[in-house]
Amino acid sequence: MRLWQKVFLYTLILVMLAVSMTSILLLKNSFSLALEQRKQNVYSEHEFVITSFKSMMITERLRQNAVVLDEESLKRFMEDTFGGGQKKSGIQFCNDGGRQVYANKDMHIPQGLLEAVQDTGRNYMQVEGYQLYIASSESMEGKTYFVVTENDIADVVEVHENMLHQILAISMGCAMAIAFILLIVVKMLLHPLQKINEGTRAIAQGSYEKRIPERGHDELSELAHNMNRMARAVEQNVRALEDVAENRKHFIDNLSHEMKTPLTSILGFSDLLQIKRDISEESRMEYAGIIKEEASRMRTLSGKLMELITVGEANLEWKEADMAQLFEEIGISLKVITDNHHMDFSCVSAPGTLCVDRELFKSLLYNLVDNAVKASEEGAYIQVEGHFEREEFCIRVTDEGVGIPEGEVEKITEAFYMVDKARGRASGGAGLGLALCSEIISLHQGSLQFESRLGEGTSVLIRMKGGKCHA
Amino acid sequence: MIKILIAEDDPNIAKLVEATVAIGGYEGVVCANGTEAFEKMEHGNFDLVLLDVMLPGMSGFEIMQKRTNTQVPVIFITAKQELTDKVRGLRLGAEDYIVKPFEAMELLARIEVILRRVKRTENVYQYGDISVNVEEHTCKYAGKDIYLTPKEFEVLVFFIQHKDVAISRDRLLAAVWGFEYEGESRTIDIHIQQLRKKLNLREKLVTIPKLGYRLESAKE
Repeated sequence: MRLWQKVFLYTLILVMLAVSMTSILLLKNSFSLALEQRKQNVYSEHEFVITSFKSMMITERLRQNAVVLDEESLKRFMEDTFGGGQKKSGIQFCNDGGRQVYANKDMHIPQGLLEAVQDTGRNYMQVEGYQLYIASSESMEGKTYFVVTENDIADVVEVHENMLHQILAISMGCAMAIAFILLIVVKMLLHPLQKINEGTRAIAQGSYEKRIPERGHDELSELAHNMNRMARAVEQNVRALEDVAENRKHFIDNLSHEMKTPLTSILGFSDLLQIKRDISEESRMEYAGIIKEEASRMRTLSGKLMELITVGEANLEWKEADMAQLFEEIGISLKVITDNHHMDFSCVSAPGTLCVDRELFKSLLYNLVDNAVKASEEGAYIQVEGHFEREEFCIRVTDEGVGIPEGEVEKITEAFYMVDKARGRASGGAGLGLALCSEIISLHQGSLQFESRLGEGTSVLIRMKGGKCHA
Repeated sequence: MIKILIAEDDPNIAKLVEATVAIGGYEGVVCANGTEAFEKMEHGNFDLVLLDVMLPGMSGFEIMQKRTNTQVPVIFITAKQELTDKVRGLRLGAEDYIVKPFEAMELLARIEVILRRVKRTENVYQYGDISVNVEEHTCKYAGKDIYLTPKEFEVLVFFIQHKDVAISRDRLLAAVWGFEYEGESRTIDIHIQQLRKKLNLREKLVTIPKLGYRLESAKE
């Protein structure tokens, strides 16, 4: 059964029960009150009749000049007094044996009434059907008689029954009205629940961007609000996962392209060397040269790739390193490269310490200087400089190279992205250097920034947190 | 001579393709830039275009969309291996789609198929004293008609088209009998022997150990 059906049914049943219970109780109350009043009246009437009969009996005794009226004359007197005419209430006299002496109309005395009066010696009342019977024992002319009067209470009972019928009709009508209103109210109250239900179903089926309407300030809107929060969290996670998958796919696409290009040359030229008959010494050397060049390109690519893959997984050794000393060390090995290209090179840092992984830090500076060398002409100047700004350690690598075109700066840290493909390939680059650098920097919780002017040079600025200046 | 435009940005691969088409006796013109390749396709007089998809300036797909000179057949040569790329390339009107890395002979075979389809191949071949007419399906040796079976004829034409190139039995099977042929490579040996006998090619049609056969140029 649906929730609205349950709420509707239970409420309806409870309300109906309460209403009918109350009305029946009230009705009963008023009925017994009316009956009680009637009983009082009837009782006084009964007393009055008997008292007046007794006084009339004394008069009769005087008239007949008898000390005591015998039973026969008493009966006749009763007949004279009560007989004749339309009587509203009946009266009956019985002797102490319970035998009828006189009755003004045919009436049936309820069983046990006379016995009860005889046993207790008091007046008794009993209701049977629409009649109220009162019995009392009276001593008249030396004998004991039971006097029973019969009174019609049909009006009281009828009123009661009429009201009962009315109440039945009214409560049926009320039930209908209540059911109708209740249905609307329950439906209206539970309407948001249905919306939540529909919304969550849609979200569960993959429309993570769907939201449930939040109206009002009740528990249901709270529920909707929380559902929405959940959906938002799910959506964010799914988006993040999709981004990761998209990035990975992009990376693999690029990787396969970068692998296939040298592979095509290697396979193609070795194929040519094998199937062609006359190859001049010149072309043979050229083909072999190309094969060698492309193979070394693949070696560079696989080396860099390994470095990039393992940089996050390697067991890093975090140590406080003296920057001035480290820069000097790295400068010596980098100077070999710049000297090969006849470039001016300097590598200095302000005194101070920074918590780094030495190998990664070396790799970072190596890659940045390598990029600078590739971008520069012979005789150019390359500067690596480190200094402290408050809690941050800043590294600036400046060159006088070709620079980076505007709009490409955001893309250059992407794996396999090369600003100038021809130039990158000619210098044996794989397009992974800056991707590696940004990975290393993010491991050191730093930031990477480029300032570049086309044709004038590039300046790379790195900020790492947690430096301690010694100056 | 048949002129082929090679649109490829990697200089080494461009050189490779150029050397490969030279084996087939075609003239290759290299172009490393997309926009330049588009211009050459539109106005140059080429018989076929070998088009890379990832070109600087203008991608291969873009060139195909914008070109107006649809007479020139195009073959895509690309590292993009995905089916959607392949379908896209072919939908844009390319005749074929070759995925890198490729074999030299495969590239040549595909070029030949396309050229034959657009009827730009020669019908008459001359090799020493032998002259072959592909359309008439006739072969003359020193002026006399020589009878060749259809397969022998096709094998001969294939060798003449690829002079001085070592051709493996598998390649020959694929080219003459079709890829679905499940016969033994002995069949080829028998056909070669027949050709040698009928056309006096014992010295010219040489066996290359572990590889296959080669028809040497007739000049010497």
